[in-house]
Amino acid sequence: LKAFAYVNPANEREAVAALKTDGIAMVIGGGQDLLARMKDYIDSPDRVVNVKGLDAAIAPTPDGGLKIGSAVKIIDLFEHSQAAKLYPAINAAAIEIGTPQIRHQGTVGGNVNQRPRCWYYRNEEFVCFKKGGSRCFAVNGENQYHAIFGNEGPSHIVHPSSLAVPFVAYGAKFRVLGPNGEREIAAADYFTLPTLQNVLKENVLEDEDILTHVILPAPGNVKSGHYEVRYKQSHDWPLAFTTVVLTMSGNTIASARVVLGAVAPIPWRSKTAEAALTGKPLNEQTAAAAGEAAVREAKPMSGNAYKVQIAKTAVKRAIMNAAGIKTV
Amino acid sequence: MGGGFGSKFAPDSQGIICAQLAKLAKAPVKLMLDRKEEHLDTGNRPSATAHIRAGVTADGTLTAFDGQSWGTGGAGAPSGFPLPYIYNFPNRKRTHKDVYINAGQQRAMRAPGHPQGCFLTEILMDELADRVKMDPVAFRVKNLPPAAPNAMWAEYFARGARAFGWDKRHATGDPAPGPIKTGMGVSAHRWGGAGRGSKAHMDITSDGGVVIKCGTQDIGTGTRTIVAIVAAETLGLPVSAVKPEIGDSTLPFSGGSGGSTTAASAMPAIRVTSVMARDALFAKVAPTLGSTAENLVAEGGRIFVKGTPSKGLSWKDACKLIGTEPISVDGQWEDGLSGSGTSGVQFAEASVDIETGIVRVTRILAIQDCGLIVDKLTAESQAYGGVIAAINFALFEDRILDRVTGQMVNPNMEMYLLAGMSDVPKIDIMLNNMPERGVIGIGEPPTVSTASAIANAVRNATGATIRSLPLHPHKVLAAIEQEKAGGTN
Repeated sequence: LKAFAYVNPANEREAVAALKTDGIAMVIGGGQDLLARMKDYIDSPDRVVNVKGLDAAIAPTPDGGLKIGSAVKIIDLFEHSQAAKLYPAINAAAIEIGTPQIRHQGTVGGNVNQRPRCWYYRNEEFVCFKKGGSRCFAVNGENQYHAIFGNEGPSHIVHPSSLAVPFVAYGAKFRVLGPNGEREIAAADYFTLPTLQNVLKENVLEDEDILTHVILPAPGNVKSGHYEVRYKQSHDWPLAFTTVVLTMSGNTIASARVVLGAVAPIPWRSKTAEAALTGKPLNEQTAAAAGEAAVREAKPMSGNAYKVQIAKTAVKRAIMNAAGIKTV
Repeated sequence: MGGGFGSKFAPDSQGIICAQLAKLAKAPVKLMLDRKEEHLDTGNRPSATAHIRAGVTADGTLTAFDGQSWGTGGAGAPSGFPLPYIYNFPNRKRTHKDVYINAGQQRAMRAPGHPQGCFLTEILMDELADRVKMDPVAFRVKNLPPAAPNAMWAEYFARGARAFGWDKRHATGDPAPGPIKTGMGVSAHRWGGAGRGSKAHMDITSDGGVVIKCGTQDIGTGTRTIVAIVAAETLGLPVSAVKPEIGDSTLPFSGGSGGSTTAASAMPAIRVTSVMARDALFAKVAPTLGSTAENLVAEGGRIFVKGTPSKGLSWKDACKLIGTEPISVDGQWEDGLSGSGTSGVQFAEASVDIETGIVRVTRILAIQDCGLIVDKLTAESQAYGGVIAAINFALFEDRILDRVTGQMVNPNMEMYLLAGMSDVPKIDIMLNNMPERGVIGIGEPPTVSTASAIANAVRNATGATIRSLPLHPHKVLAAIEQEKAGGTN
């Protein structure tokens, strides 16, 4: 491990200031990702800026939503009764993350901003686009866990955050603080599909920006559901998962947000599934049809067509969860 | 993923380099591989592939086996495995080719060869049983080699079927509605487990202290415990009264821990040495008790005249008669206290989500013999460990090499998947104690059958045939699709 300086800022302003350096500065929350990257020689920062001491509160907003500090531990988000009541899909996503140890150590901000779990990215031998190289090894290689949507390249990772998906589905905003002040960004606009210009990152954060808060609007008259498919039952990354947030008018779905995780370089909003739900009664047939619609435009790679079936099932079952129908 | 056992039989290049460094430095050198190095440098289980044709008569009698197999043990290393496994094919033909590749050498890993041969044969057995419309247990029993102390399969199939509720097994393909299908599977295995060559040394001092020394090692199997148990039982003492010293090359020779040979090698040496030391103590004590050494017994922390417990001394008082020179004896393994050859049968129950291809193992029953059971707790623990390792083999473990560069893409504990607590099912172990056979190793045999039984349970659940491990959802979903399209040949 390369030696590094450790900065423990007193507040968010100091944290942003500490990121300004001639060398490489990186933010550390729970450290569940950064420390692993450092030990695997994927990143070797000169300076590590601790943000665990920043806002770790979950506070109500004037409009009936919640404002979640980035430093909130995943376990505290899971155990927050108001968050669980208002946003059950976030609650369901939080408890599926990692292991008890990771949930007690990892933070909301860290979960959102963690780097890809792609095994090429995580191995120092493979200098891929994400590490300044000139190719994505997954294209001709081992891509069984890679993207089936948003596969235009150059990188074919799946976004690793479990919380980002329900955050997008519930229409969250992210508060970002940088050298030029603060700004709020819709969660859906925060994550970026890769281009040759931005491929070193997965979101709009600049080098001296920090994500300070996730601001969730009042959910309104919605039913929400969440479903994850994992190979192992614990301590494993999902093969595909889905959050649905349905705005109801009686038993009819007035509008829908369907967001898939682990299938694309960003939390993947499925407009086709949303269209298949709008104006339909909330039942198992609708759920199955939306599952089919969700994967209609999937573009799997050479070794991950099976994920299409899994994503379809995750969408169907998330909707069934929202409807209170037994899934299996 | 190897372990401390067979994969460490040879020092390997890193071990030799470590020794050379120590010699140059004239100082101890500690070698530590991190997880990535362990994955990349310390060898692998050889792969196994086969094309098999088999013949069976309408009444379920196996007639012929014709198999071509391939495997890779790395660059210039063998990859052999037993095939067919256990069952009696009166006419058999087999060819095997070692395929050399530059992707890491083979090492002895978890019952070398047997899980491969077992899987290839046992999934064939279920497919053949379906062809002749026979129950898989009855079909297997009909085609077993003759029963013997080391071939108890027929009895175990019957006992296991009763205990597991095999009568509730449905025919291939769970008729239950909904996406979750459950099924049962079965498999049999064998192993050697013979020991030889170990030596031991025992000191008994006048303060009553007992030290038993043997150059074996405890790699987590409980060897230290059973060394103390055998010595203590021989001397009629509680286990806590014996100090076992193992794990040092200055101690009397014992072999490497591999091939399930440790217990069967070391225990006879411990027993022989303990008997020699005990008899030496009897000789010292006999005059005081007005008896002869042959007429004394050591039991319950006392030494007394056979049949007259009141005529004796406490262990402490008896040892006071030893004097300044301790009793110090050397003994070694002798024929007759250990045996060879074990058999086992395992039953598995699994559920499969046919909309996701995810397999969950819900129950395992492992029936196993290992001759004389020295210690039930540690023997059962070996069986639990073997079963869990084989669940990993069945469902998760996969050393994935990038097809372009040949680099391993998952040399870590995050992407080289191993069962977590939630993935481990209810496991029942039924050990068959056969004291008359002596001590036989149990390290490897319980890991042989599990994956085959699970694969057969998955086939019984889904009606889809997956002839490959691990049972990754992509294979399960593909097999289900293939079954819908008309099945396998």
